[in-house]
Amino acid sequence: MAVELTENQQLAAINADYEERYGFRDAENYLYKAPKGLNREIVEKISEFKSEPQWMRDFRLKALDHFLSRPQPTWGSPMLAEIDYDDIHYFVRASEKAGRSWDEVPEDVKRTFDRLGIPEAERKFLAGVGAQYESEVVYHQVREDLEKQGVIFIDMDSGLREHEDIVREYFATVIPPNDNKLAALNSAVWSGGSFVYVPEGVHVEMPLQAYFRINTENMGQFERTLIIAEPGSYVHYVEGCTAPTYSSNSLHSAVVELIAKPGARIRYTTVQNWSTNVFNLVTKRAVAHEDATVEWVDCNLGSRLTMKYPSVYLLGERAHGEILSIAFAGKGQHQDAGGKIIHAAPNTTSNIFAKSISKDGGRGSYRGLLEIAKGAHGARSKVVCDALLLDEHSRSDTYPTIRIGEDDVNVGHEATVSKVGEDQLFYLMSHGIPEDEASKLIVNGFIEPITKELPMEYAVEMNRLIELQMEGSIG
Amino acid sequence: MPQVIEVCPVDQLGPGEMRLVEWEDLEIGVFNCGGNLYAIEDRCSHDNGPLAEGEFDAENCTVECPRHGSLFDLKTGKPKSLPAYVPVETYPVIIEDETIKLEVE
Repeated sequence: MAVELTENQQLAAINADYEERYGFRDAENYLYKAPKGLNREIVEKISEFKSEPQWMRDFRLKALDHFLSRPQPTWGSPMLAEIDYDDIHYFVRASEKAGRSWDEVPEDVKRTFDRLGIPEAERKFLAGVGAQYESEVVYHQVREDLEKQGVIFIDMDSGLREHEDIVREYFATVIPPNDNKLAALNSAVWSGGSFVYVPEGVHVEMPLQAYFRINTENMGQFERTLIIAEPGSYVHYVEGCTAPTYSSNSLHSAVVELIAKPGARIRYTTVQNWSTNVFNLVTKRAVAHEDATVEWVDCNLGSRLTMKYPSVYLLGERAHGEILSIAFAGKGQHQDAGGKIIHAAPNTTSNIFAKSISKDGGRGSYRGLLEIAKGAHGARSKVVCDALLLDEHSRSDTYPTIRIGEDDVNVGHEATVSKVGEDQLFYLMSHGIPEDEASKLIVNGFIEPITKELPMEYAVEMNRLIELQMEGSIG
Repeated sequence: MPQVIEVCPVDQLGPGEMRLVEWEDLEIGVFNCGGNLYAIEDRCSHDNGPLAEGEFDAENCTVECPRHGSLFDLKTGKPKSLPAYVPVETYPVIIEDETIKLEVE
């Protein structure tokens, strides 16, 4: 039997579950924690800690110059002005090395991941797992049969140490350090993230998962991920992220580069559920060569501000790009999400499906670019962005850009903004469904086209998170 | 019709050096990569950035756009890294009477 909650009880329920499930914090027991602020010395220290080759140290220092010389972006969100780059710890080391067994992970860190259910998920349905705690990866494991086929799934620091030639060939070719201020910052202080290499023709049937956890207050996490799928291969990479709730801000600024060679397919799924004191400013970009497919499935629920526009450059003929984006903006949140697709070759195809939900004064924005370059004859694309507003205090914006350089192409763009309508609610309630439940059903139906693309375990989690966000939304 | 324009005397553009020349509404960067000369249009194909003003790596014969960091191969004009993906225009370099010249159209 459903228990009726008062409005105040319902409001109090928001995020209560986050605190318990994800918002807890551990005592700080670190091997090293850099003082706040960023300078040449900190960057050199990070590089020294990791015993990096000279070229990477030079790369970092050059990126630092780019970061310092670039102004803070003025577009996107006024919240950007709240970031104080001098009030952040840029490097925190929790463990000596990335363990290959959970027994090698420091006890308190292991307890955190146990609590988040990571080792259990690994046993049940994953082909490999990476777990990053603060600046570095503390655990990494990939199934033995995949390793035997030449699949590499390790943390980026180890990737650089053990596969320097491959890293040097591809690193920063998709996102150069000077691409934007945040990419420059990441390039200067990057630490952790995943290095994935899938040899020609190898299909990794189960997902590889990385889990990112920030524990320290005023922490900056700057992981760097590089995925290379050789011709005809397939891989699905999933990432999740959470942090304790603090009153002061943390910064997460990742750089993710994907390279899908001819005929390869990469799917990259994100369930972003940072606590609402985290600024999440991420650059994600992929290249798809001939007949390759890249799919970004990007779900943003948490963070204070997210600015993230995964992009796909369709460089080879018949390449396909797909971006599925869900953004949920609750109280005090701004989700500025979307995607970019660049058709740079003939007969390339793409879809962008973006859904945003705003409630309790939250702001959801869709920002997208669709470009069809000269010479991309026969390109086809469809862009659909839908926004759902749950109350009159919330806000939704759409900033679509479409550039078309050829005539013989097919481009569709649809956008809708809707409110949870009285008539929809009335219809469901007239069938005996309580108002809260009816509202959840409408939201779940709204995002279903995207959640159905998630692996089952994540779809269940996603629906649960959405329900949690919806608690008390009908007052 | 192709036209030949003068850049400078050969001894005024040593290895590792770059010189910018203007012709009509075009700006062209001429680079000396270890004795070999290459010329590209001074306009990044991504965002019209002033390409020739970027960091010149004479050893690898590349230039990096100062605006968003795309790296271009000076020999071919092709980008070696995103966000640019379209090659920039290249121009044949001629040496005649100890003078560097470009063939433009």
